[in-house]
Amino acid sequence: MKKIHYTLALIMTVAVIATGISRAQVVKPHVYINPGHGGHDSDDRNVTIYPYATGDTAGYWESNSNLKKGFALNNCLRAKGYTTSMSRVTNTSNDDLALSTIVALCNSSGADIFYSIHSNATGVTSRRNHILGLYRGPTGSPVIANSDVLASKLAQRLQVNEAAVWTSNYQLAGDFTFYPDWNNAGLGVLRGNMAVSMLSEGSFHDYIPETYRLMNDNYCWMEGWNFSLGADDYFGYNDFGKGAIAGNLRDNRMPRVRNDFIMFGDDNREPVSNATVVLLASDGVTGLDTCYTDNLYNGIYAFKMVDPGTYYVKVEQPDYYGQTKQVTIEANKSTYCNFDLSRVRSTPPEVVNFAPVWHEGDAPLKANTPVVLEFNWDMNTEATEAAFHIEPAVEGTFRWEDSNYRMIFEPTDAYDVNTLYTVTLTTDAKHGGGMTMQEPFQLQFKTTYRKHLQVIDIFPHEGDQVHYKNATIELRTDSMLNNSYYYDRIVVTDKDGNALTYNRRSTKSGKADEPFGYIRIPIATAMTVGDEYTLTIAKEMDDTAGIHLPETIVHKFVAVDAGEEKPEATVIEGFEDAGAFSMVAVTDAASATMSASTDHLFGSRSLQVKYNADPCGAYHFISEALSGTTITNADELSLHVNGDMSNVLVSLELESTDAAHEYAKIDFGKINFHGWRYITGKGQLKAGKSYKIESLMIANSDEELVKSAAIKFDNLLKGAKSGVAGDVNGDGVVNSADVTALYKFILNNDSSTTVNGDQNGDGVINSADVTAVYGIILGTANAPAVTAIGNVATKPKVKVGPIPSSDYIVASAGDYIQGVELYDMNGRLVVRNGGNYVNVGNIAAGAYILRVYTTTTATSHRVAVRH
Amino acid sequence: MKHLLLIVMLAASLVGGAQRVVVTSSTAILNAGETGFYPKLNAQGDMLLYSDVDAHGLKMLNLTTRDVAAISDQDGAGFFANWSSDGNVYYVTSKVDAKSHLVYRTGMRYDMARRTNDVVLEAQHGAVLPAVGTQGIAIKGKKHSFASAQHMGTVVSTQGSQVIINVNGNERRFSPVESYAGYLWPSLSPAGDKVAFFAAGRGIVVIDLDGNILAELGNYEMPAWYDNDYLVAQNTTDDSYQFTSSQIMLLKADGSWCHELTSPTSMTMQPTAGGGKIAYTTIDGNITLITIDINQ
Repeated sequence: MKKIHYTLALIMTVAVIATGISRAQVVKPHVYINPGHGGHDSDDRNVTIYPYATGDTAGYWESNSNLKKGFALNNCLRAKGYTTSMSRVTNTSNDDLALSTIVALCNSSGADIFYSIHSNATGVTSRRNHILGLYRGPTGSPVIANSDVLASKLAQRLQVNEAAVWTSNYQLAGDFTFYPDWNNAGLGVLRGNMAVSMLSEGSFHDYIPETYRLMNDNYCWMEGWNFSLGADDYFGYNDFGKGAIAGNLRDNRMPRVRNDFIMFGDDNREPVSNATVVLLASDGVTGLDTCYTDNLYNGIYAFKMVDPGTYYVKVEQPDYYGQTKQVTIEANKSTYCNFDLSRVRSTPPEVVNFAPVWHEGDAPLKANTPVVLEFNWDMNTEATEAAFHIEPAVEGTFRWEDSNYRMIFEPTDAYDVNTLYTVTLTTDAKHGGGMTMQEPFQLQFKTTYRKHLQVIDIFPHEGDQVHYKNATIELRTDSMLNNSYYYDRIVVTDKDGNALTYNRRSTKSGKADEPFGYIRIPIATAMTVGDEYTLTIAKEMDDTAGIHLPETIVHKFVAVDAGEEKPEATVIEGFEDAGAFSMVAVTDAASATMSASTDHLFGSRSLQVKYNADPCGAYHFISEALSGTTITNADELSLHVNGDMSNVLVSLELESTDAAHEYAKIDFGKINFHGWRYITGKGQLKAGKSYKIESLMIANSDEELVKSAAIKFDNLLKGAKSGVAGDVNGDGVVNSADVTALYKFILNNDSSTTVNGDQNGDGVINSADVTAVYGIILGTANAPAVTAIGNVATKPKVKVGPIPSSDYIVASAGDYIQGVELYDMNGRLVVRNGGNYVNVGNIAAGAYILRVYTTTTATSHRVAVRH
Repeated sequence: MKHLLLIVMLAASLVGGAQRVVVTSSTAILNAGETGFYPKLNAQGDMLLYSDVDAHGLKMLNLTTRDVAAISDQDGAGFFANWSSDGNVYYVTSKVDAKSHLVYRTGMRYDMARRTNDVVLEAQHGAVLPAVGTQGIAIKGKKHSFASAQHMGTVVSTQGSQVIINVNGNERRFSPVESYAGYLWPSLSPAGDKVAFFAAGRGIVVIDLDGNILAELGNYEMPAWYDNDYLVAQNTTDDSYQFTSSQIMLLKADGSWCHELTSPTSMTMQPTAGGGKIAYTTIDGNITLITIDINQ
């Protein structure tokens, strides 16, 4: 009875196992294969690679490689007993099925899993190559359960592909997470898909070495095979008794010949095309299968559906030494075996071409001429560089081109001038096969007098104050600049190291026929007043002959507001009306024109003067406002000038009002800058005399580069002179009269009462007494020195901005601001605020007056609203 | 209102022919914040089935009372849900078997009278698809099938690249146009004399019950009969990854005329029709019910 029980149990167990086997064999999964969209249209991802023209359907198209992978997967799965469906088997525009159609086809097919086969692209100049698996939903929470598992199983199978060069490990993500901007719409082929589903970006088809691999049928087959292994892993099958082997054949040292694209790792070496690859039996003799690498720069071979076991893979190619490797192929697995092949180099290396070719008596060469040696073989770079000698010794770098057939030596800085150099390549130089040169090689050349690019001028100069808006930088050199790398080599950074942007379209540079080179670049970014900026011009900045600067140039400068109000000064001439000016030429050689310009700091216009003084000359500009003004040596004249680095001289011509009619001059200096600048004039006016302004004069400087100018003028101001500390009345001496003058000014007292000059009681009357009075005004014991009444800061300076504004206009002052009021141009109050700002977001665009109230003053400012 | 005006303006611009279409009403029928996909109107146009974006779960909206009833919370319930002539709702759910990782699909019926769900076709592996007949509905599986009535009248379905037309038990299979990927979305005209279906790579095809091609309407998807002469369909474009445009088309069944009911940028999709009404959703699940007037 017991025996019967055992027998029954055994029968039942066998039956269960048999049923299980039967189920496993019969109920194979159904896989829906979507090899992406079909066709050769604009959305089918054509990557142009040599030798194919853009749009050539025989070239690379993602629609082609996806379909090859799809066919391979379909065949592999069917061989394994799976049921399969494919969304396309041809590659025409009619195969461009809509996303919702693909989903409906999958759902109607009864598929268990859905593979959408794709490859990726970066779409930018940087490149990478990795696997990306996407499933529907947030990362880690797939909408269809197990979709993340399916993606993971596949990615692990794809990652083992050693014939590729991966830049990172595979990435898995939910499409909601991966495309955060799509508002959870997700990938169209996964949306509503009821199968366990994923989209695979198997590699990056715009990484060009990978593009070439994807042109290879065997490579695509291997990806399809790996997909089938991923499906096996997902369903837990390992009963298919076949394996596959593939690999990559590369030159063991020669860089890629075709290399005008980004490469990583082993992809930098030349793939071996047209090789014969034989799969040999374990005896190492019996050939079982043969395949060939194609001529599309990928070096890929593969043997498909191979029984597990030990084999040999033999590689032959006429230009390379053959190689054989033993391999073990396992069932349900991809084996990769790459070969690094050594080229057959049958003769010794020699220099077959070189530069420079120079003979005694020839013109000397520029001081940065590279030495170029071309060889008959690809060279061992290390040995050849060691065999290279140059006398006199000069520091330099080696560069290799043409797959190491060409060596280039370039001096790090430059050769010495007027020097004879001798280059020797000794017989230690080797080619890639290890043979050395039989004869040494030698060349000579002599250098010219010029070694470096010389700077004539740079703006901003070190320590310059530069108007914060519409600033321009300029580099002026002794020869024409190479315009290829302006923007890389000339950089302006703010205090945090951020590069300012340039207005590239308005960049100007020297013309070939000009005696010097220059580059003039407007800065697009408005700078922050008070901040320090840095202009850096790289040493590599070179001229058209390749001669570069001797060293990197760094200039620090500060952004200022040249249009800052000077309430202590009065406007003599606002330069608003160009018609109010007349001009007189000093010499016939000069010519000039005047016009009103909208580029202004004050009012609505400035005066633009275009001046041509080649070879010499000067011009006077006269207006009633100018000639109606008299000044003394206590006055300080300041002018707002928009410069152009023309180096012309600007001055005011004066004449004393007494009977002597003495000539005098106030200089505003050389216009060696760009943009607006506030310039205080310098002159020696005699004490006790008054002077009448005769004209504003522009004249040539002694700079030979001056030819023409286009400069603008805005407010000419008259204020109290900044002079000797304590000399507030400007009479040239510091005494009790200065202390009295300061008192009167502060108290607004016109009485003739004098005060004690020795304010600090130290027994002497000097500037310290004047400072002491100023300290009383400011309520501090550390008041600054006073040099003129006009410098006495009795009123807080009020600033408002931004102008124009679309949201807030903010006032600031050295005093507490009690409130602001915005008036329209008809004097009507528009809005009032008890703070230091006004919100203009809902106020009509236009011009307004902002009235700012501090604890001591009320000031008015013209502002603008723009939306 | 803006939406309605846009639709009316679009409707006024005919693609071709002398017909003029006026949208006479347009109503967003879900409550604010609620979304719906895969809408399915009944023949009377007073009840609407809908699901979520992934066809997960199934709800029923009474367009007269605005009452919403939750029918199912199962995966896939919304994708093949349909109304039967017996007034009940039939749908297919799917579930991944945790051990084998195979997907098993179950035929379900929602009994409108009893408000209960019944399994009408046990879970099985492989395709399980409904086939709508004039007198009932069938749910066909690879191993087993279900029929809601003994006499189904005329039943149409697709399998691979075949249209299957069964008239009173007499089944015939037709492949009137080539399509490797297969046929989808078969539907019988209200008069029961024409069948519209979609052939992948080819578009919407209208045939008679003998399999003769009456018209090819263009490469649109999801055809649904509006009346015996007109169909509504979906017209989408994409960049291989996501939809870039989607609109609802009104197509004349003889292929002589078509009209854009919504603009391509409206992202409207998944049209359904019944009882002289048309419903569709948008890419973000805003189901809209419209009525139209066709002046011929």
